[in-house]
Amino acid sequence: MINLAAKDISHSLGKFIVTAISVGVLLGIVIVMIGVYRGMVFDAKVLVDDINADIWVVQQDTLGPFAQNSRVHEDLKNQISYQDGIKHAEAITFQTFQMENKYGDFKVMLVGYDPFGDMLVIDKTKLIEGRVLQKQHFEIVVSQKTNYKLGEYIELGRDKFKVVGLTKDTVSNSGDYLIYTSLKDAAILQFTYTNERIRSDEERGIKSGNPHLVNAIIANVKDGFNPKSVARNIERTTHKKVFTQEEQKNLLLEKVIKKSSKQIGMFTVILIVVSIIIIALIIYTMTLEKIKEISILKLIGIPNFTIAKMIIQETVVLGVLAFISGNIFAHFISGGFPKRIVLEMSDAFGLFIVILFSSVLASLFGIYKVIKTDPAQAIGG
Amino acid sequence: MKKNQAMKIQNLVKSFGSGDNKITVIDGACFTLNKGEFVALVAPSGAGKTTLLMMLGCVLEPTSGRIEIGEEVVYDNKWLVKDDRALRRKKIGFIFQAHYLIPFLNIEDNITLLPYENGEKEEVVKPRVKEIMDYLDMSDKLKSMPSELSGGQNQRIAIARALANNPDIILADEPTAALDKERAISVVKMLKKITREQNVTIIMVTHDDRLFPYCDKVLTIKDKKIDIMVLGENDENV
Repeated sequence: MINLAAKDISHSLGKFIVTAISVGVLLGIVIVMIGVYRGMVFDAKVLVDDINADIWVVQQDTLGPFAQNSRVHEDLKNQISYQDGIKHAEAITFQTFQMENKYGDFKVMLVGYDPFGDMLVIDKTKLIEGRVLQKQHFEIVVSQKTNYKLGEYIELGRDKFKVVGLTKDTVSNSGDYLIYTSLKDAAILQFTYTNERIRSDEERGIKSGNPHLVNAIIANVKDGFNPKSVARNIERTTHKKVFTQEEQKNLLLEKVIKKSSKQIGMFTVILIVVSIIIIALIIYTMTLEKIKEISILKLIGIPNFTIAKMIIQETVVLGVLAFISGNIFAHFISGGFPKRIVLEMSDAFGLFIVILFSSVLASLFGIYKVIKTDPAQAIGG
Repeated sequence: MKKNQAMKIQNLVKSFGSGDNKITVIDGACFTLNKGEFVALVAPSGAGKTTLLMMLGCVLEPTSGRIEIGEEVVYDNKWLVKDDRALRRKKIGFIFQAHYLIPFLNIEDNITLLPYENGEKEEVVKPRVKEIMDYLDMSDKLKSMPSELSGGQNQRIAIARALANNPDIILADEPTAALDKERAISVVKMLKKITREQNVTIIMVTHDDRLFPYCDKVLTIKDKKIDIMVLGENDENV
């Protein structure tokens, strides 16, 4: 039996491959869009995962510290430390600001923590150079994406900070690079105003100085204790809102990135629909180009099934080649995006199944054209 | 008598449109063709040659009448065959004005496509194709693509394709139209030879009355009717 699809493809191999690569580029963009979505979800959780605190204590009636502003007193950590089931508790602050260096300007999130505390805020597996903070002042650990080098000094506020460590893959839920200083330095950066502002405040009778406020108290629970029960217990005994690690992650996904991810999801769906329409048009055009040959085949007695099989086989081969080239393209360009792109094979295969199924459906237009073609078209006169 | 019959047409009518717009192209055609006959079909342009050819090839449904191919009644005021394409595949061969070979298949695939589609085995098909290609003096072209051959060579390949499924009838729609006189006569001689040696009936549409001496019968469409002229044996030209 002669495989018409294989013969047709090999006869116009160059054209077929170029078509497949073009479709592949389109699929590659869809794969990258899915990767952007995955990246957002990944980034949303990365900070909470790195800190790896079992519970987050935040200002009452807020969804802090990421979904809403939260301010609690630093010494609340002592109160939390003595709660039933708590192993360690530490204060933590977050603030975002714009930085600029010779490599460009970028947004960062400053994480302030106690370097001598019992909780490791920096995930050591992500520390690629240098060390974590070991002094209460003027040391800083930065994301390698900021392009700072170890030993370099960074001017922040009124002080200079020495880069003692570089991290990789450390970003906030918004994708901003993370930098780490001691809690004390973070408080100075947050609450030390300009001389003019201090004078103005004094005129108004406002006392300047460090109010010893932090954004959250993070804590780990002792072995054998359920973080959820401990969290509910702290809520009952303090006037604070308490989230477990899972609840905090859900808050980030549900409240912080929900709209953005929905938007990207919608865009991805539109791209998939457009891809399917384009693939359908390509298959239809490929069929139309062969309509003379198809009418001859029909006239000499080749059944519709054989001709339809040729079209479907060509569609499947086109889909497979487009899938391969799309993945290569997606991996090739994903490194150039400023924010994280997470390319998962399961997503690519899911897309492949959707595209393949839809393409075969779309090829029905071509097959319908085949069925409707009058075999008498082949005869002149 | 019926055993030697290749095709019998009775009261074949083909009309297009209806009511006041009804146009009858063929009106009550009746003729019988025997196996191994070489028949010319002649008519002015627009007289219905292609329409008749398409009805004989079971491509176009007649309005009424009866068509027998061999001993099988395929149409009697309605199609009596379930699969017209299977009938064409097994009993009818086609040759067109242009060769109309499938451009993405090589010569061997073009010729073997129909026999394989009929479910014939390779060990049966290959020797037959070799025999046909030897017969047409084209056996060295099996792996060539149609685009690599000349018009005359491709027309011979089209004849090979029409012969590959061992048909009872070959319908040839002006097979010499695109060829010069010398090549046209060479092709017609070959067709004539095929009718004799393969016992196939060939109906050839032509405008060229110089080709009549090679034919056994001439069918003429005149005023929607078919006239049949028997020319007798002309084997000396073969």
